[in-house]
Amino acid sequence: MGFAAHLIALAWQALMRNKAQTLMAMLGVTVGVGALVTSMALGRGAQEAIKDQLLAAGANMIIVNSGNYQTERAGAGGSPADHGYIPSPKPQRTPYLVKGPIPGFPNVRLLNAHFEDDPMAEHDHPLASERLGDNMAGLGAAATLTLDDAEAIRNEIPGIDFVASGVHENARISLKADPMKQWFTRLHGTESDLPVIRSGWIFPYGRFLSASQVRDAEQTMVIGRVVAARLFGEGINPVGETIVLWNQDFRVIGVVDSTSWAAQPSAGDDQFDAIYIPVTTVHSLLNLSKLNTITITTESAGETTRISKQIEDILRRRHGITEQMPDDFTVKTQAQQLLGKGLSPDVARIVAGNLESIDALTIEQLSASLQRANRTMLALLAGVATVSLLVGGIGVMNLLLLSVTQRTREVGLRMAMGARGSDIASQFVLEAIVLSVVGGLIGAACGVLVAESLEQVFQWSTDVSVISMVFAIIVAAVLGIVSSVYPAHRASQLNPIGALNHE
Amino acid sequence: MSVISLQGIKKIYHLGDNTVHALRGVSLDIEEGEFVAITGPSGSGKSTMMHILGCLDSPTEGSYLLNGKNVSNLPRQELADIRNRMIGFVFQGFNLLPRTTAVENVELPLLYTRPVMSNAERNKRAVEALTAMGLADRLDHHPSQLSGGQQQRVAIARALVNKPALILADEPTGNLDSKTSIEVMRLLQELREKQGITIVLITHEPEIAAYGTRIISVRDGVIISDEKNTPRNPEEDLAAVAPIAAASGY
Repeated sequence: MGFAAHLIALAWQALMRNKAQTLMAMLGVTVGVGALVTSMALGRGAQEAIKDQLLAAGANMIIVNSGNYQTERAGAGGSPADHGYIPSPKPQRTPYLVKGPIPGFPNVRLLNAHFEDDPMAEHDHPLASERLGDNMAGLGAAATLTLDDAEAIRNEIPGIDFVASGVHENARISLKADPMKQWFTRLHGTESDLPVIRSGWIFPYGRFLSASQVRDAEQTMVIGRVVAARLFGEGINPVGETIVLWNQDFRVIGVVDSTSWAAQPSAGDDQFDAIYIPVTTVHSLLNLSKLNTITITTESAGETTRISKQIEDILRRRHGITEQMPDDFTVKTQAQQLLGKGLSPDVARIVAGNLESIDALTIEQLSASLQRANRTMLALLAGVATVSLLVGGIGVMNLLLLSVTQRTREVGLRMAMGARGSDIASQFVLEAIVLSVVGGLIGAACGVLVAESLEQVFQWSTDVSVISMVFAIIVAAVLGIVSSVYPAHRASQLNPIGALNHE
Repeated sequence: MSVISLQGIKKIYHLGDNTVHALRGVSLDIEEGEFVAITGPSGSGKSTMMHILGCLDSPTEGSYLLNGKNVSNLPRQELADIRNRMIGFVFQGFNLLPRTTAVENVELPLLYTRPVMSNAERNKRAVEALTAMGLADRLDHHPSQLSGGQQQRVAIARALVNKPALILADEPTGNLDSKTSIEVMRLLQELREKQGITIVLITHEPEIAAYGTRIISVRDGVIISDEKNTPRNPEEDLAAVAPIAAASGY
């Protein structure tokens, strides 16, 4: 048995002789450490909550839309003639009818029309309406993005986490079992990575599309919570049911819902009043190769601006867009929309309070302002915990001074039995450490309980980390040492004769 | 070789402006196996003598050889080690730690023994010492659960547990009734007779001093008499006390 363990045994014996006193002094440390652990849990919880809400709202998300409704490319310095001009993609299909006056027929004007709309045209493939028997199967307008664009973004830009291609349509769906049950909703043709990008998603039933289902263009479908509630009813598991879309049978494999407490999905919601099917299935059924969107997440929220710029460069090069021409796509980060939706009013206020101009909001500014808000909050909580620890430390010192006086006879006895001054001093220091650490452990446990109850009762976000627990215990031990130095010194300097005769 | 050898010991205290000559030159040799009773009225200097004999205090002048080692001017720390190894104390008020079992009380000196003793060894020695005192069935009792005589026997076990050269008993019977006092004196006599332990007893009661083999009287800081004594027989005294105790309901 080592000497340290031997001394701890001494301290433990002494503490156990005065259980009530020990308990009272422990209480001070317990309260201090409890406050420390609780405030650290609250601080980290708030940090996590803000981060979660930002991510759920897509702070690290970039969405590339096909088409461009801006009149001018920002910073491109295009000529006045370019204004209002939306360039068409590289001509893949020859316009069948031309717009404008026809030579020789000055009074006849023809509308701009897609060649599929010409009833006289001969097609090398069946029209979507013929094939699917559904005239609701509208095609996207300026569909300038392709799966190859998505692949290029995925492969060429560092710092990108996930890329998901998307085709978006409006769709009417009905139950196979009960064709009268219909719902008009958003259809998203997508890839298996989408749930990782939309980090605020959970799946109460089933799962999302798998990579192999996307690769094989299976007719499987994940439905939003709103759709599930409308077609099947709230709280009913629709996995395995069949839904009819474009006269085709789709098997339901999952339901998607929101984790965000800030934004509860309702009818018309783009994410949860929606259905998700493999993008490849959309392409093969509608005979398309275009995408409406490419959704990208970056590894770090601070990099969205740089990566947006690189995406623009790659797409302009791939689409052969010259310097003077505006983009035929739109790259948007989600940061602009953060304040409007997805954030709770509290969080939004913190963010807005630290911003100079919401208009000029960039993701970097947003991150910086959140960090400032976090630092302020953590400093406040650390201050509260420091004061409680200080009070706890004074309590321990008080108890020890009292204890030295009360136990003067005991000190004298121990000295008569051969205890050195250093033995007596280390006994008191160790008693303080044992007391503080035990009090600290209880305090840490109480802190966790308090944090959990706050989360349960008030729905506050808390996050208890192992590091914060270890830190709290170390703080308690240091507190014990510091507050015992003076009492221990006093005890060690007692004269054995005087101490023995002390009444 | 003498266990204790005092040569010209003087002790002077300064209490404010007053100078107190507690000991004015004491010379004394105590041989191994002696049971010495030091007696005298209060203020005679016997307590100061006990403090110096017990290495709790250092003399102002003179030399003190304990087992041949000069301990008169050692630093605090070395005095502590000598107390631990060489001297067993028995106090008037027992000085047992409350809310602590008999075994833990007896282990106390062993906690400060160097090199450090293992838990098992400490416990074994404490149990042995208590068993020798006839307290084998009281090992885990707290002082409050023991009678005065039993408490003093725990204190004696504690004094003996580190096998000291000397037992210093300071008014060991001061808090005990006469029957128990006699029993404690019988115990000390047995220790001397059976184990040859050297005992120095400080008392102001002549009848208690009479149990020793040598009686030293102190007055005003000097030894006024130092005589061999035929120890009183405790068995006779017990026989005399027993009817009284029985009559009073003990």
